Amino acid sequence: MRILVVEDEEKLRRFVAKGLQAEHFAVDGAPNGQTALEFLASASYDLVLLDIMLPGEIGGTEVLRRIRKRDKEVPILMLTARDGLGEKVASFEAGADDYLTKPFAFAELIVRVKALLRRGPVTRSNLITVGDLEIDRVAHQVRRGEAVIKLTSKEYALLEYLAVNAGRVLSRTMIIEHVWDQSFEGLTNIVDVYVRQLRLKIDEGRERKLIHTVRSVGYSLGEEAG
Amino acid sequence: MRLNPRSLRFQLIAWYAGLLIAICLIFGAYAYSWLHHYLRATTSDTLVRRIEIIEATLLSGINQTGEPYVIRELQARYAPAINDRFIRVTRPDGSVMYVSGLPGDGSFDPVHIPLPDLAATSRFEREVSVKGGGSLVIVTDAYRVGGQSYLLEVGASLKEREEVMGAFSTVLGVGLPVVILIVVAGGYFLIGQALRPVKKIVDAAQTISLYHLDQRLPVVRTGDEIESLSVGLNEMIARLEDTFRHASRFSSDASHEMRTPLTIVRGELEAIMRNPQLDPGVREAVGSVLEEAERLAKLVEGLFAISRLESGEATMEISRFDLSNLVLTTADQIRLLAEDREIRLTSEAPLPVEIAGDRARLKQVVVNLLDNAIKYTPQGGAVHLSVRAEASQAVFRVTDNGKGIAPAALPFLFDRFYRADDARTRGIEGTGLGLSIVRSICLAHGGSIEVVNEPEGGCSFIVRLPLPADGMRGGWIERRRHEA
Repeated sequence: MRILVVEDEEKLRRFVAKGLQAEHFAVDGAPNGQTALEFLASASYDLVLLDIMLPGEIGGTEVLRRIRKRDKEVPILMLTARDGLGEKVASFEAGADDYLTKPFAFAELIVRVKALLRRGPVTRSNLITVGDLEIDRVAHQVRRGEAVIKLTSKEYALLEYLAVNAGRVLSRTMIIEHVWDQSFEGLTNIVDVYVRQLRLKIDEGRERKLIHTVRSVGYSLGEEAG
Repeated sequence: MRLNPRSLRFQLIAWYAGLLIAICLIFGAYAYSWLHHYLRATTSDTLVRRIEIIEATLLSGINQTGEPYVIRELQARYAPAINDRFIRVTRPDGSVMYVSGLPGDGSFDPVHIPLPDLAATSRFEREVSVKGGGSLVIVTDAYRVGGQSYLLEVGASLKEREEVMGAFSTVLGVGLPVVILIVVAGGYFLIGQALRPVKKIVDAAQTISLYHLDQRLPVVRTGDEIESLSVGLNEMIARLEDTFRHASRFSSDASHEMRTPLTIVRGELEAIMRNPQLDPGVREAVGSVLEEAERLAKLVEGLFAISRLESGEATMEISRFDLSNLVLTTADQIRLLAEDREIRLTSEAPLPVEIAGDRARLKQVVVNLLDNAIKYTPQGGAVHLSVRAEASQAVFRVTDNGKGIAPAALPFLFDRFYRADDARTRGIEGTGLGLSIVRSICLAHGGSIEVVNEPEGGCSFIVRLPLPADGMRGGWIERRRHEA
């Protein structure tokens, strides 16, 4: 899997590249629109990570438009500034698949990249299993071993989101955006409260804990800490 | 039209009319006294001339012609009865030689006019009032002939002069007020005409708010101060617009510039954290820095959210929705936070209250106020929400039964970074921007927010939003909607 990172800030480009390489992606970096278009002309990429604010004549939106002219398929993840709602709308209209607002948690970047890459042939399994935890996505039923666990709808949504991304660290912001919505963004402690509640029901009194806290980053679900 | 004594129009008219009245009074008084004197002097001159003629032609030869001739001549040539004159000749011994008869108009009786001082030797003039209200002006002259001194009196009625003066007074008394009235009315109209361009400018200026700085005032091509006024005001608006555009461009550039380093800091720290062999002490320190970076990011976020809302730069996605429903569902989503602190969360929104606004932003208002109430209510307390329509407003109220807010803190509660007091903020991490954002959102919707302490303890945050009276929505929201 080959990813092109178009970002003018060198340090940002480098650590994104490093992080993606750690996840076993092949990464090329381009500092501006012109270089990006040259890279795209000479190689084929599975995903483009594109900053919307690029220096020079060819801005992010223009690069996006030119990519889409040639290639309708390649997933494009835009990096935008928060609150530039007009910008977001414009980039979606120009053919972006998703956007990520700076400053983002790296974990979030990975989740979104992976989501975009597996889009298409996604195996939307109705039954998710993590260790001895079973989640029936049709009946919204949760079992751990033999025991059926009763959850409220928010608790279920949280657990399902953790389970779909099992093994990955999810930031509080990601969890809030997914399970609640952006209005709750300031309230990271709501995630903590719900996770605590969920732990009482899922992990309490069991030898093997499935919900893990990753200090300063977020939470993960899995047999081992993420 | 209502008269406002402080208005420019009224003041101009008042000064103008006052000045005009003063000038007319001075002029009238002067003209009156001048005319009075002129008429009197003319009469005197005529009388003196007549005396001189009578003396020269008749009295000078009295010793030759004899008294009867003089009397006859006086009667025939001067016809006092017809001309309403008074003529009297007194002999040196004081007996009357001749006196004219009753005048034609009967205004005086010559016989009853008192004799002057017989010892007089020089010419003098006197005024004698007569029965019936009129008066006579009489010139008396002592004429010496052959060693004898005859006293000659010639008089004329002042009736004519009084008639003229009366007519003149009438003209002044009636004419001047009429003229003043016409002039004032004309002036009122003319000043109104002259001020019309100013009114046009004022009307246009009233529609220009911070959110409409792209508009300009109409320039009236009058070539005078009013044109310079409109041009000057437009230049000022242009400068304001420029400043605002600069400020908002700065805020958006600054936002991007600050996000990038924050992203790098965060990313690099996260990369360090991913190393499983990290020393626990270092992990702790990096984690702490990461948390602070997160907080800084939130601060930047909050500050820019406020500045965009305040500068009108924020794009509002206006739709119509039920505020009651929004509040109830949000309360459900946040309920666990309250339960976690054993706070009873109750809500009362019996009727749908439809408003027009940015749903996501208004939801943030609800979330922030609820979060705030839950944070500041002691364990085991209660938070109550209510939504209702009052007059033309939707009123959303969050009441808690905590210990309320220090009165000194009330005016500053919505200021950026303001913390009510130490007890309230202990153990609470936050940016200090939550309530500022809430207020900015309320204001951007043409609404308001206030906080009051409840008499029985605790406090209420009250959000008021205008109800969409169809076709009468806030100009800004309307405009944003068209842009969206």
